[in-house]
Amino acid sequence: MTAYLIRHYVFTLAVLNHTSRRKKAAVTTKNEAYQPPVSILIPAHNEERVIGRILQGMTKLTYPKNKMQVIVIDDASTDNTGETAEGYAKSHNYIKVIHRKQGEGGKGKASALNIGLKQAQGEIIFCFDADYYPQSDIIEKLVAEFTDPKVGAVQGRVTVLNEPQNLVTRLVALERIGGYRVDQQARDSLGLITQFGGTVGGFRRSLLESLDGWDESILAEDTDLTFRVYLAGYKIRYVNDAECYEEAVENWRDYWKQRYRWAKGHMQCAFKHSLKVLKSSNLRFREKLDGLLLLNVYFMPVLVPLSWIVGVLLFFSHPPQWFSIFWALIPFSLYSFVGNFAPFFEVGVGVYLDGRTRAYWLIPLLIFAFLYNVPICTKALADLLISKILGKNCNHWDKTVHTGNGNSYIIN
Amino acid sequence: MRMVPNPMTFIVLFLGVSSFILIMLLPAFLELKKPRDAGPRTIMNNIVTIPQLPTIMEDEKIVLDQALRQKIASIIAFLPNLEA
Repeated sequence: MTAYLIRHYVFTLAVLNHTSRRKKAAVTTKNEAYQPPVSILIPAHNEERVIGRILQGMTKLTYPKNKMQVIVIDDASTDNTGETAEGYAKSHNYIKVIHRKQGEGGKGKASALNIGLKQAQGEIIFCFDADYYPQSDIIEKLVAEFTDPKVGAVQGRVTVLNEPQNLVTRLVALERIGGYRVDQQARDSLGLITQFGGTVGGFRRSLLESLDGWDESILAEDTDLTFRVYLAGYKIRYVNDAECYEEAVENWRDYWKQRYRWAKGHMQCAFKHSLKVLKSSNLRFREKLDGLLLLNVYFMPVLVPLSWIVGVLLFFSHPPQWFSIFWALIPFSLYSFVGNFAPFFEVGVGVYLDGRTRAYWLIPLLIFAFLYNVPICTKALADLLISKILGKNCNHWDKTVHTGNGNSYIIN
Repeated sequence: MRMVPNPMTFIVLFLGVSSFILIMLLPAFLELKKPRDAGPRTIMNNIVTIPQLPTIMEDEKIVLDQALRQKIASIIAFLPNLEA
């Protein structure tokens, strides 16, 4: 936990340092001449309220359309997702729709992306979620990083579109600012493990094929792929200027579903990759350290309720001698109140760098999001362990519902 | 011997913690009641990027790409002729 505390402060300082250096640099150059053919995969399961928005965004991209292929994977939708996508495909020859029937589809995002990958013809494979809305020159910005042969994948920044909607969307927006503007930027600047976030990112097709695409047995297919890319000896770059809007979850129930899936998937990745990361000859010491911290981050909230329970028991009872060993958990309790101000500081710096002075005022409310994550992660770990013991499949993809309420915030 | 906490300690502790939480959360409640933040963040489209100079190092000499040479020549052609 102390390692996480230190990491938060190191990341924050690294981003402040990086930003001040960038301000001093007169011009940032990007190689615009490099424009390889790209394929953009958009998996969509019952996304009729948002699919039109992202396809509209795709038509506005400034990347040469003759070098661009957009593939919508209509993943066994029971609504009008397929019909809406077909409408765009008829009027734009670079848009293609793959329809998956009930039974063969609806098995999760990784499965849909693998189907899309088989049809993709581009050298670079991008993926965008259906509830996203990209800025028009995002592909140019992301593609430029692939001029470096060591770069296997690239990640852009995610910005919450429906932020003013309610408390949940506001808190998610703050988390995103901390996660991308600070965490991802710091990892990139310090040469650590930059995480592919599952969307607003792309891969070299050759690398993706050599890795056999997305692992359908893992709920956090993005984190899994991140580590497979690094273990294969490639890097992932983060491009803060390449921004894309997302529609954040709008209520605590959807927040639970989404974070539960992330937590469980991340824990699966921790079991799968921790040892490989330690043994890898392709990773430097600092990458190994950051990789292990990243893989195990969702276990931390589980320690918090444990330490609270033990703390209360110790306070009100006269425990036997052997029980005194649990006094060691008291620092965890203390950390959960004090140490967690470090990520709040991180979010604060991200908000400052974005020039959003008034958004600071909401930062203390993040404590509620953190507390909410405690039962989420605890349940995720319990379910994962039970399913491992019983040998059951625990990979049910509980889809996040997108309402399309973010449409009203788009300024054309 | 176990120390029995004074009931007053609990009251002071409770009031102290409550006040701290209230003070800490007050700005957030004010912002929620009357939002002044300009979110969502407006993402910038078409940020101007300058083409990277495609330079090749040959025997310590910088050789510029032919296309770039022509581009530079066309820019210079706009400049006033100082000799005239």
